[in-house]
Amino acid sequence: MGGDHTGLRRHANLASYALGNVLKYRTKSAMILAALVISTTLLCSVEFIRTGVEVDVASSVGEGPDLIVQRLVGGRQAQIPAAWIENVSATDGVRLATPRVWGYAEAGAGRLITIMGVNATDYGNVFGAVGTSILAGGRFIEEGDTRKMVVGLGIVDMMAASGSSLLIDVGSTLSLIAYNGSLIEFQVVGIFTSESRIYSYDLILTDLTSAGAVLGTDNISYTDIAVWVELGSNVNSVALQMDTSISEARILTKGAMGTMMLRTYGDRAGIVALLWATVLLVVVLLAFSASSAGSDEYRREVGLLKALGFDTVDVLEIRMFEAITLGLLGASLGISSAIVYDFVLNAPLVAGYMLGWNLVLLNGGIPLAISLPTVFTVFAVALVPIMVATVLPSWRNAITEPDVVLRGV
Amino acid sequence: MASVARTIEVWKSYGQGGPRQVDAVQGVSVEIEKGRVTAIGGPSGSGKTTLLSLIGLLTRPTKGKILYDDKDLSSVSEVYRTRVRRNRIGFIFQAQYLIPQLTAIENVALPKLCMDVPRSEAERQAAERLVALGMSHRLGFRVAELSGGEQQRVSIARSLMNSPDVLIADEPGASMDEDLTAELLSALRGMVDEHGLTVIVASHDQKVLDWADKRLNMRDGKIVT
Repeated sequence: MGGDHTGLRRHANLASYALGNVLKYRTKSAMILAALVISTTLLCSVEFIRTGVEVDVASSVGEGPDLIVQRLVGGRQAQIPAAWIENVSATDGVRLATPRVWGYAEAGAGRLITIMGVNATDYGNVFGAVGTSILAGGRFIEEGDTRKMVVGLGIVDMMAASGSSLLIDVGSTLSLIAYNGSLIEFQVVGIFTSESRIYSYDLILTDLTSAGAVLGTDNISYTDIAVWVELGSNVNSVALQMDTSISEARILTKGAMGTMMLRTYGDRAGIVALLWATVLLVVVLLAFSASSAGSDEYRREVGLLKALGFDTVDVLEIRMFEAITLGLLGASLGISSAIVYDFVLNAPLVAGYMLGWNLVLLNGGIPLAISLPTVFTVFAVALVPIMVATVLPSWRNAITEPDVVLRGV
Repeated sequence: MASVARTIEVWKSYGQGGPRQVDAVQGVSVEIEKGRVTAIGGPSGSGKTTLLSLIGLLTRPTKGKILYDDKDLSSVSEVYRTRVRRNRIGFIFQAQYLIPQLTAIENVALPKLCMDVPRSEAERQAAERLVALGMSHRLGFRVAELSGGEQQRVSIARSLMNSPDVLIADEPGASMDEDLTAELLSALRGMVDEHGLTVIVASHDQKVLDWADKRLNMRDGKIVT
């Protein structure tokens, strides 16, 4: 009397019946789908931005030094005297300590860009050691370079978008407005890659003297000191030594910088995720009420199927196919909508909420990245509650005597 | 005459042990003879539908036994009882229990979907059953678009889809006019005589009761004659 439970045709029948059910109960299916699409779009949009920020922060921090030494006076960052460089260099485990001058300069049309002055030899050595992958074209600044610059892609984009007849490329000349309103002319010698939108997208890197001329600083004090430690040295213990030996010093480690940037850009993802969870709860309640023992139509259908010879597992298989169809369709549509919303429309509202005023600084657009774990999580989180909400009540009815379910006695 | 099914001192109580306990069937012993029509008469609330549910294995007795070919099925697993329903029993329910959003063909093909039969084949067989019952013009209509009599014929066609050896019919003539009822009874009689189908029917309709080979009367959950 058994034996037909391995039949592929039987499974195909149950699957096609389930698909028919999804179409048959159009209103219920549409409501669940709409709720799923909205919730997964919201979650994915947030996750794409959060992952993008993570990738970008990792890339930015990866490009930077192991430690940054700043000077704090009265709780505010102050210029660092040249004498500090020797103290920092003398710390055990320090491979290289090099001063930097940086600030913001105007490139016309009210556009602010970050300008950073570095010691060309020191920086060149460090980047030379890790390869030239940070440059999309041209060369890095070299010792003896004056009024030469390496620019981020954002500067190239910005000039192109402004309708300027001047298109930035290696060899172009670009004038910056100095602190006193005068124009200082630079020659572009290299262009950064676009891996990091947060860090180098709108960055201009030049020598210390040229940066000082634009920013109005003298040549004997600096904004901070970038430090690379010896291979094998413990970054934290080097940082601790500096912290205790140099008064007024604030030491930022690579990890702390990463955490700080993530907190700046990624903290609100949690709040949106909470909102998403609330929407998903509504989906679950909707699915539950539509398929629960309270729905006479659904309950009677289960009783009838059982009376006609469907096993409990057959009924559950039908409900699972229904849930999988709705879940996969809803999550797929949600993910697709999120891709359009984020990558095409630049995530209006969500990006503003998540990134806040930082959005103003992201001239290159919001950082976005799709990760497999995100997609997998969305599918899993969309499927599991729907399956529970549809399968569980049906299982309760399916294990009840058909007469009780059909007649309600 | 050999029996296909038997009930021995079967009881069915609802709300057992509570203040509103109802003993719908009380100690009923009946023998359903193979290849014959057994009719159960009696007023509403006398326990006819509950007795049919017990014989149809849709519910388990509170006490007593239900035997098919001398095997007690009152205490076997639900999986086994489901297989018996799937392979041996056809149902015409009083309330029909058709799925309104499905077409006539889809409703009739339903019992075959849990078998290893292609859906197209199931629907072909369903169409044949419906055509035999004069429903050729309504095959693709949804249940909601059918008259009461047409719905009843869909229900009858569905009950025959698994080629049952026992057909349990609760008020099969309901929603049908006299002519149609006569046609139905004639068709069923043909299956009984030619194919050895066993029919158990509960009805208020005197014509249906007179048509049966054997007649039982119920009152207050008991067989009275």
